[in-house]
Amino acid sequence: MATAIKLENVSFSYPMNEGEEHKAVNGVSLEIEEGTFVALVGHNGSGKSTLAKLLNGLLTPTGGRVLVYGVDTADDKKIFDVRSSVGMVFQNPDNQMIATNVEDDIAFGPENLGVPREEIIRRVDWALEKVGMSEFRNATPFKMSGGQKQRLAIAGILAIKPRVMVLDESTAMLDPKGRDEVMNVVKQLNREEKMTVIHITHYMDEALDADRLIVMNDGKVVLDGKPSEVFAEHKLLTKIKLGVPCVTQLAVTLSEAGIAVDPRITDEEELVDSLCRLL
Amino acid sequence: MQIVVKDLNYTYSARTPFERHALKGVNLTINEGDFLGIIGHTGSGKSTFIMHLNGLYKLQSGEIDVFDIKLVPDKKNKSDLRRLRGTVGMVFQYPEYQLFEDTVAKDVAFGPKNMGLDDEEVAKRVKRAIELVGLDYEDIKDRAPFELSGGQKRRVAIAGIIAMQPKVLILDEPTAGLDPYGKEQILSLITHLKKECSPTVIVISHDVDEITRFASRIIVFNDGKVMFDLPMNELFRHADELHSVGLEIPKAVRIADKLRKRGVELEGDIVSLNDLLHAIVKAYNKKHIDKTVNENINFSAFEFKNEVAEDGKDGEDKG
Repeated sequence: MATAIKLENVSFSYPMNEGEEHKAVNGVSLEIEEGTFVALVGHNGSGKSTLAKLLNGLLTPTGGRVLVYGVDTADDKKIFDVRSSVGMVFQNPDNQMIATNVEDDIAFGPENLGVPREEIIRRVDWALEKVGMSEFRNATPFKMSGGQKQRLAIAGILAIKPRVMVLDESTAMLDPKGRDEVMNVVKQLNREEKMTVIHITHYMDEALDADRLIVMNDGKVVLDGKPSEVFAEHKLLTKIKLGVPCVTQLAVTLSEAGIAVDPRITDEEELVDSLCRLL
Repeated sequence: MQIVVKDLNYTYSARTPFERHALKGVNLTINEGDFLGIIGHTGSGKSTFIMHLNGLYKLQSGEIDVFDIKLVPDKKNKSDLRRLRGTVGMVFQYPEYQLFEDTVAKDVAFGPKNMGLDDEEVAKRVKRAIELVGLDYEDIKDRAPFELSGGQKRRVAIAGIIAMQPKVLILDEPTAGLDPYGKEQILSLITHLKKECSPTVIVISHDVDEITRFASRIIVFNDGKVMFDLPMNELFRHADELHSVGLEIPKAVRIADKLRKRGVELEGDIVSLNDLLHAIVKAYNKKHIDKTVNENINFSAFEFKNEVAEDGKDGEDKG
């Protein structure tokens, strides 16, 4: 497997008042394999969104290097290669809407890349279908609900056919159904198109299905592994204001009360099974 | 005192190709002191409904009576609207986007000033509101809202509403976009505000697990109508119907169902995770009389506390 994204001792500082700096990302080294589904979690201010913006050159590191398929994001001449490899979906879809009608909005990306018209039409159809919005192709985005807009924003990125998709808390504004739909789309893209996904989220439950879970705190990576391995560190996760998925929290609380339940359980069925044996 | 809504209808872009009936004959009574949760999937009409409660949408048909302020269609009711907005405080989704002044104190003062209160009263209310939302007044009053963390900004925005001392507080998705810790803080804050400031609270949320933490009554909107209006413990007996309109049932309800289906006897109504925990521990103690465990355990991972001291430094939120 090829390496999609490589971070070499990456730091990023925001300038503050009177020459002070705020180090949002502090010496992060990571290698993300092509085709993996990575969940990245951390509380507000942990540096995860800054890290996301470093991945497609929206920000360039103040220390270290970010390589996207071997291309340095700090290389101005190649920034378009980086941007067409790594698609970004933000939290607030309003920031990502540009056209007055759905089709135009989705076509904006591929148009800018010089994709032929027939191919654009195919991609718009495909992208709309993927996010379950085909019936809205002639609607206007500004009249849509937040959830619909976010699916549209994702479709807009899909139409560029990036190799890596970064979702920066893109599910935060959706209702449970919308969230499921978006997650299903993203998982399917990961599975079928082998798209590398980096999903930044607050929902621990969304991190459960990831291949790899990276936890950030204070600008650094503090945990990195399979979700079940990471959630076993529930004390650390609570300390850094994150907590664990609901099922794990239940298991942990019961186990601490003295009931013999494995505190590392992440799966609901498994919890039900072990409770049935005890009760 | 009550809020009574009769036959409320609302149509967006009427008589155009985009015409959409957002509310179709809504009838509701909300009592003073209610802790009301409103759920419904996107586009179900719940936001359109609450916008009416403080007069942000002009009534098209129907009647609204909010604590004896009466709204009817086609009435020029400017003075009523003014009173209404002092009675019903509305905290929108992502309220921190509305912060605009250069200091926190000025921002919070905007509402009460517009109500025509004198400077002394405004200053008093600003201080109290900032303290009520759990922030340190002296520390934060002269800071720029933009240098605060996401959670702090949201509290400042809520303080701006609280400063008007509304009798009814409406919050639209108050925890959206916050991390688990920030969520916990805001949820505790809402309970605190209900006790200290606004006795009637209405919260819109997508997250049923969250809503089980506080609301005593839940209204479910679907397709512009009230689908259910029930006490919380009764609502989740309608799991299949809720699921069919795109709503989840709380995890605790789901897990309790599974356990009961497999023969585990759990006592009482289980809605929240704490209910579930207590029922499990009780069932366990019944079966293991020789080695019982403490029944006094709680689910919550975080506790509500004043976070100024520790949060003041990470003044950036790139959410």
